[in-house]
Amino acid sequence: MKLKKIAATVSVLALAGSLAACGGSDDTGSDAGGDKIKIGIKFDQPGLGFKEADGDYSGFDVDMAEYIAEGLGYDDDQIEWVEAVSANRETFLKDGTVDMILATYSITDERKAEVDFAGPYYVAGQDILVAADNTDITGPKDLDGKKLCSVTGSTPAENIKENYAKGVQLQEFDTYSKCVTAIEGGQLDAMTTDDIILAGYAQQDPGKFKIVGAPFSEENYGVGLPKGSKDRDKINDLIEKSFEDGSWEEAFNDNLGESGYQLPEPPTVDRY
Amino acid sequence: MDLISESGSVILTSFGLTVRLAFFSAIFSLLLGVVLAIFRVSPVPVLRWVGAGVVYTIRNTPLTLVMFFALFGLSYQLGVNFDKDLIWRNAFWLAVLALSVYTSTFVCEVLRSGINTVPLGQAEAARAIGLTFTQNLRLVVLPQALRSVINPLASVMIAMTKNTTVAVTIGVTTASMVNEASGQMKTLMEKNSDQILLIFIIFAVGFMILTLPIGFIANWASKRFAVAR
Amino acid sequence: MTVLDTESTSAPSGDALVVLDHVDKHYGDLHVLQDINLEIKRGEVVVVIGPSGSGKSTLCRTINRLETIDSGTIKLDGKELPAEGKGLAKLRAEVGMVFQSFNLFAHKTILQNVTLGPMKVRKLKKAEAEAEAKKLLDRVGVGAQAAKYPAQLSGGQQQRVAIARALAMRPQVMLFDEPTSALDPEMVKEVLDVMVSLAKEGMTMIVVTHEMGFARMAADRVVFMADGQIVESNTPAEFFDNPQSERAKDFLGKILKH
Repeated sequence: MKLKKIAATVSVLALAGSLAACGGSDDTGSDAGGDKIKIGIKFDQPGLGFKEADGDYSGFDVDMAEYIAEGLGYDDDQIEWVEAVSANRETFLKDGTVDMILATYSITDERKAEVDFAGPYYVAGQDILVAADNTDITGPKDLDGKKLCSVTGSTPAENIKENYAKGVQLQEFDTYSKCVTAIEGGQLDAMTTDDIILAGYAQQDPGKFKIVGAPFSEENYGVGLPKGSKDRDKINDLIEKSFEDGSWEEAFNDNLGESGYQLPEPPTVDRY
Repeated sequence: MDLISESGSVILTSFGLTVRLAFFSAIFSLLLGVVLAIFRVSPVPVLRWVGAGVVYTIRNTPLTLVMFFALFGLSYQLGVNFDKDLIWRNAFWLAVLALSVYTSTFVCEVLRSGINTVPLGQAEAARAIGLTFTQNLRLVVLPQALRSVINPLASVMIAMTKNTTVAVTIGVTTASMVNEASGQMKTLMEKNSDQILLIFIIFAVGFMILTLPIGFIANWASKRFAVAR
Repeated sequence: MTVLDTESTSAPSGDALVVLDHVDKHYGDLHVLQDINLEIKRGEVVVVIGPSGSGKSTLCRTINRLETIDSGTIKLDGKELPAEGKGLAKLRAEVGMVFQSFNLFAHKTILQNVTLGPMKVRKLKKAEAEAEAKKLLDRVGVGAQAAKYPAQLSGGQQQRVAIARALAMRPQVMLFDEPTSALDPEMVKEVLDVMVSLAKEGMTMIVVTHEMGFARMAADRVVFMADGQIVESNTPAEFFDNPQSERAKDFLGKILKH
């Protein structure tokens, strides 16, 4: 009898959990023109996906998302922006909270089991940001004895812990902006995450920081879609088109042009 | 559940950190809270103002801000550090400092209400036999006050234990860089996004294991040590 | 059998122990003590009576400065009462007080109640303090209750412990603020008996009470107060049989009917 009660309670909790997570309609990603398209982005990554104080959204991911939505037949005012925190991305796609995600979302085999991807539309790599006048650090090997900063639970932080942690002290915060403050103040030496995210922060204070420029991992940013989405091919076409017609380069320069970070070559789309 | 076999020891280490944070914060917040309460009931006006000032400002500041100030204000700007070289040890003690100071204001107010429940005649009789103000507090009033507020004090301690999770905002970790509980929960959720609910339940239960006993013990203690009048 | 130790003083030795000189006190608009002048000699037993609101309790409490005064002086053994602080604490150790509501330390045993003052203020060692305390408790008749807590005792027993607690400080004068008013009638006698034997041994006592029998039997002087003033002051015999003032006659008429 007790076991039944426990099982019932757990399933109630699970139901409550899924109800809390879901908020949108329950269709599996049909974005026929006419109604709204819900796009998941980051709200707190300057230069990539950022919600401004006045309620506007800006960033490379935002511009690319608008381009794709337009290509699918939506106007800008038919776009509903939803915050897609890293831990929620698969859940949101599965339960329909969002129709697609552009949120520095790396394509991995693990994730392909749960969701579909179009793209990649950008290849980033883990890199290191330091104060502009720093000459000690040119790559992850130089981090021995240094104080490095990242965000709690992020893949870059885990990567450092597992592969490079021998002499490095890692300070984790809940936001990258705290890392930036600490590096500016000299209390920490470096900050690590995907290079394009670093560029977003460097863009905010041009000239104060530099990105070392020696990426030591590869992150393929893709457009996250619900599993079995029928729009994958169309979106892949749109991505390739953006490479050709200059929109991709424009999106980059508008958002990250002053970061001191070089625009790489556009990636090859993976139609798997 | 290979989640548990894979991450079980990390989860335990993480809660071990929570316990250490809570343990030291409990001790310091209780001590500081008693001091603040004594200040607030002192016949010396300056002490009363200092006590009231500390309580009013800090009790009304969110813990996240107090914690933030501990690192970015005290440590980064003012250079007040517990350990100049070791990030983790510095962060740990800064977190304990922030949490202790914050919680002590609640301990103080709970204790003060306890002092007010001690009948005035007790303090008068103490004065009448020639006890000084501090003797009066120490021997007659505070012992009775403490015994009358065991349950509210336990509530404050339970809240404090859960508040250790705010330490994630200044990145408190163990020496081996295992995060405190809420940070570790976030890390595990990022790695295993298909098991978010299970991870949440594990950590929620973990906290309950820490806090439920505090409540039970308090219940028992408040009856056992109640002052019979 | 003496309640006090061998250092007891005998009959009023003549020198003034407690002197109140032109004492005035207001509670807001209420003039609760009006130009009080009172002298209590060493060894004297003074009973203060009067209707409620007459200020007699307040008067009692000003003598060990549990209440402050607005003007005038109060001298104890020649020394004026200082303001709150260590000096006052020292002086208070010379004045024993017994309260209407006993005010025994609820979290301590009977024995601990009586040893607390001697140990912490008179700085006696624990063994010595306990020996003295046990003697005192026996003398007031509650020796068997030493290990109990106040809540386990009857009102009469608690008040007798309170007397022992006050005596443990070897005070020069004892103040009693309506010591039997909160007691059930059948317990009043046991407390009054202790107070009578104290008086017989020569303790200087100021007793605020309604117990006229005690006044007649043990008091050297009766002080009658009304509306904040001392109206009459006389020997018990004179006061009860021959009240001078109208106020006193009125008061006695009302309470002595039975």
